Amino acid sequence: MTENLEHSFVQQLQANQNIIHKICRLYTDCEDSHKDLFQEITIQLWKAFPKFRGESKFSTWAYRVALNTAITLYRKNKRTIATVEYESRQHFTKEIEYNYEEEEQIKLMYKAVYQLNDIEKALIFMYLEDKDYREIAETLGISEVNARVKMNRIKGKLKKILNP
Amino acid sequence: MKELDLLKKDWKRNENSFEQVSETEIYKMIHKKSSSIVKWILIISIIEFSLSTFLNILLSFTDIDENNTRFIKSLGIYNYYQGFTIFLYAAIIYFIVLFYKMYRQVSATDNTKLLMKNILRTRKTVHNYILFNLVTIAVFFIAFLTFGLKSALLHQTMENGKHLAEISNSIYIVSFLVIIAITALAIGIIWLFYRLLYGLLLRRLLLNYKELKKIDL
Repeated sequence: MTENLEHSFVQQLQANQNIIHKICRLYTDCEDSHKDLFQEITIQLWKAFPKFRGESKFSTWAYRVALNTAITLYRKNKRTIATVEYESRQHFTKEIEYNYEEEEQIKLMYKAVYQLNDIEKALIFMYLEDKDYREIAETLGISEVNARVKMNRIKGKLKKILNP
Repeated sequence: MKELDLLKKDWKRNENSFEQVSETEIYKMIHKKSSSIVKWILIISIIEFSLSTFLNILLSFTDIDENNTRFIKSLGIYNYYQGFTIFLYAAIIYFIVLFYKMYRQVSATDNTKLLMKNILRTRKTVHNYILFNLVTIAVFFIAFLTFGLKSALLHQTMENGKHLAEISNSIYIVSFLVIIAITALAIGIIWLFYRLLYGLLLRRLLLNYKELKKIDL
């Protein structure tokens, strides 16, 4: 029984692991921390798995647990400070057509996002993942209206960071 | 916001660029131990609960307790003392049950705000338990020292069953105040230590919780 559960979990996680990687990308600043957070999220997901009844998709459920782990449960040793090397290593790897101006802008944008706090990052993350405000609000436990207001404020904050 | 759209485009483009973790590695990971905040709170709390309970039990087997009992009996308040002891143990059990129930409520599948709230409530239970213990110890300490001091002072001024001199009220008051000050200092230091311990552990969580609450104001 436990083996079946384990097998089904590992398979589903393996197929959905990019969700976790994406969260790790936002919340950690080096490869070691990335691996560390990935592992903690995996453990938390596994611990919560017996309660997962398949009412929602595995991915939807995983988003919530993974975000909660990154924001609330995970104990990181240092606060995240964006390191340019780590960011640039991760992006622009596959594109053949280079638009240098665009590339520069994206780089700056990543840098700006790294300066946001944990909660703001969570909102941006869900925005990037095309989640609607209802789901963002539900995941964080705030009202839909306030999620919208907060998102607008974050956009303002990002603008300020980009054009000080 | 144009830049945000650009970012989204890039985000989607790089969605599958991560080095994939194999099934075998995931198998290994789920058998490793978590080092989450909740785990740490649980470990520290269990140490705290067992340490204070252990001390209580240990004390009841020692001379100190026997002497105390004799002393309390001589004061004629033994019944109250027994009642108080029962109350004390009931309170400790109450705290442990409460803590366990709250700990069980902490679930990573709740929404973020509720999860944080539950963790903070769990920690608060332990905090209250510590505070309760400290206050109880302080009350005992002050009461014993005061009674002890009084009988010691009386004993010193007695000779052949007669009082040599009256002890002035100011001596009583000063010594009483000194006892209270020392107790308060000791309790204060222990309390500070706890604030620091949990403060370090929960600093980030508290910050994030405040941030979330601010959004909904």
